[in-house]
Amino acid sequence: MASYDSDEEVDYATDPAWAHITPLPQDDGENPLAQIAYHPDYVLAMSYLRGVMAINYHSAQVLKLTADIIGMNAAHYTVWGYRFKTLVALEASNGFEDEKTNWSWRKELDWVQSIAKQYEKNYQIWHHRQLIIDHLNDPTGERERTNEMFASDSKNYHVWTYRQWLVKRFNLFDKEELDTMELLLKEDVRNNSAWNHRYFITLGRLGTDSPADGVIDREIKFAKVAISSAPQNPSPWNYLKAVLRKGNIDLASLKAFCEQFAPIDSEDEIKSSHALDILSEIYDETGDFSKAEQALVLLAAKYDPVRKNYWRYRKRLLGSSENVPTASEKTPIVHATV
Amino acid sequence: MVQVEPLEEGEQPQLATRTEGNTNEAFHPNLYQMAPERVPALHLNLPFILDDLKTETSQKQLSTARSIMKSVDQPFLPPLDKATHVEFLLSPLDEGLSGGFVGLDASRPWLLYWCINALSLLGKDVGIYNDRAVSSLKPLQHPSGGFGGGNGQAPHVAAAYASILTLAITSYYASIGLPEDERLAVYADSFAWIDRGKLLQWLRKIKLPNGGFKVNEGGEEDVRAGYCALVVLALLGYDDEDLRGDLSRGELPLLDGVAEYFKSCQTWEGGIGAKPNAEAHGGYAFCVLAALCLLGDPEEALSKTLDLNRLISWLSARQYAPEGGFSGRTNKLVDGCYSTWVGGCWSLVEAAANAIESGKKSTKMNVGDLWSRKALIRYILTCCQGPRGGLRDKPGIRPDYYHSNYVLLGLSAAQHYYYYDDVSVQSPVLTKSPFRHGYRWKSSKNVPKPTGHDGTGGGWLEGLVSEESDRVGVQHPLFNIPLGAEGQLQSWWEWFNDVGDVDALSSEN
Repeated sequence: MASYDSDEEVDYATDPAWAHITPLPQDDGENPLAQIAYHPDYVLAMSYLRGVMAINYHSAQVLKLTADIIGMNAAHYTVWGYRFKTLVALEASNGFEDEKTNWSWRKELDWVQSIAKQYEKNYQIWHHRQLIIDHLNDPTGERERTNEMFASDSKNYHVWTYRQWLVKRFNLFDKEELDTMELLLKEDVRNNSAWNHRYFITLGRLGTDSPADGVIDREIKFAKVAISSAPQNPSPWNYLKAVLRKGNIDLASLKAFCEQFAPIDSEDEIKSSHALDILSEIYDETGDFSKAEQALVLLAAKYDPVRKNYWRYRKRLLGSSENVPTASEKTPIVHATV
Repeated sequence: MVQVEPLEEGEQPQLATRTEGNTNEAFHPNLYQMAPERVPALHLNLPFILDDLKTETSQKQLSTARSIMKSVDQPFLPPLDKATHVEFLLSPLDEGLSGGFVGLDASRPWLLYWCINALSLLGKDVGIYNDRAVSSLKPLQHPSGGFGGGNGQAPHVAAAYASILTLAITSYYASIGLPEDERLAVYADSFAWIDRGKLLQWLRKIKLPNGGFKVNEGGEEDVRAGYCALVVLALLGYDDEDLRGDLSRGELPLLDGVAEYFKSCQTWEGGIGAKPNAEAHGGYAFCVLAALCLLGDPEEALSKTLDLNRLISWLSARQYAPEGGFSGRTNKLVDGCYSTWVGGCWSLVEAAANAIESGKKSTKMNVGDLWSRKALIRYILTCCQGPRGGLRDKPGIRPDYYHSNYVLLGLSAAQHYYYYDDVSVQSPVLTKSPFRHGYRWKSSKNVPKPTGHDGTGGGWLEGLVSEESDRVGVQHPLFNIPLGAEGQLQSWWEWFNDVGDVDALSSEN
């Protein structure tokens, strides 16, 4: 019999170890649409999986079977879910220790990482990892695993979702986390995912609580330095606005900073459409409508013409900002229970 | 100094009109000369400002923009090659799929939905597939309720969503033009076998205390799950009591806290992420906006739950030049599928913006488009059509069924005006439904230009299709099925919930 972590092929139909499982065929219905002409190996493995699931059978053998199927279809959420249940059942019955099984959570995590590198756009792999780490209650090495993934795709949504969960679950709002984001942004200051994570760990996690002293100032400085290195990068501009909002600091405090990148009377020196955008807001707030409009016209005509209709809409709203309540002042939709 | 155009209403006609091809050019020289329009300058140049600092993001963006610029620069927009796309989409239905598609074996209902909906957008009568859709989907219903991604697979909310949408489309087409009793019989075959009670019980298992939903038991939480769950609930004829559940049995009311949950997913950027604190992303933005609009009229649903101005700013920043298409996130590349995920958000936020302005001015106002329909149409027609059929992310990337559906759906969003009709009378049953607002969407071929500050003026935007044969079908902006299919399904449930005697129906026939 093959050991469970080997690549050795198992013929489920003839291997005596599987004789006690009754394979169940797949019912695709009569004359089905978009039927898939599966490889016979997949058909066989899936029919044994259905047989295993039907009797709720959890043994080390299931690890081999589910790994086989995942190797052919990594998006098979049912198989991932069943594998996790099997792992938990094995642990509870000391099944990992069995010399034939010879499995451990650590081996499982290494195997998952190897699958993750093959299938980057996949929800299930990272969710499986999350379930395991949650169960083990130990994040050791996990940040390093996600860093490895960022090396090939620094904006992988699933990996970032996992990283956020990890940081929140184990309260990893620490210097290492901040340093990692700094490093990622140093490599690519346009990595919006890293900006998002930075916001999460510095301010977003706080909810309605106030940030510690100095955090707002530090983040403003950080964003401004990033802007200076590439003024047409939207990420730090959005970040800067968000930090000011969180710190209840008036947008108008950015006026001089923005004018540095978008002196609207010296058009040739305009280096950032985002600065123009914010300036139009600031001029609007301070009642300087003609300058606000001038900024919007420049955006529509020259610096961001595909958004012309949006800039026109913004012009339409000039002077009305004080009438627009913010979301928090309004009553949300509540579906009360009676 | 740049020529500064006035920021006035509407756009200059920009689309080049197409001639009938070479033969006709020879016979109709005047027609050929009647196509004088220019390719809009925004497609012909890289952005005016490009930073000196190069990073991986900027290099990818620049090389993509450069290559797409060559594709979008066509004085005669290519036609929508419907026949070839139809062929591409019929193949999985008629001939099945090769073993290489095993990676979609847990997404079988999606394959049906993508192909069938895309075919309906291309004007095909997909009613002929109704019986086979039913026989394909029946084995996916799980004994404990809900639908799996394949036979014997665990129930998953996205599988239920795609299954219900597929049946809603095929039964709608199969019953067009039939007398009332035969129409009801078609719907009975398509829907009466669904165990709605068990489905509801299963949905309670994936409902989360924070108001959101998981995709399946033991699966991940995100707003996609919430959107799919709400669409399933809205299309399966449940009443308010069903949704509330039995508190004495500890059942959670399914809609409790869901709007607040969606609200908590609006990010620091103004866009919407998969769950609280996740990065703003077009796909999740659509899920949240559409789900909220199932629960309220657009103004109430969007402006009172979300920070609408910041949302609009973020959505607007998704459209790029010279490409013309949408990206899904800040500093990511354009992709044809965001024609739906971002493009589909516009009718919803514009409806909210129109209602807000109308309320302020006490007269019917229209703020006009907040995006460029024409730039998106140009991106789709010049970049997203695979040479051998099917639609795609961008040039150089192979077409697939997912992109075929969502590129065409986005084209529909660009070619049609979708609006919220708050005046027409609804059935008494529907007026009591928490999803009644979702049944008020209409469409028009005429896209209004903005009205002036006194509510007058406006007019219509010209030149969205060069020829009627380029036009795709109308879709419901929340459900993403042909517009009208939702109403037919709802009227079937009203009949079924009232009479419930499917056997009598079939014996009559």
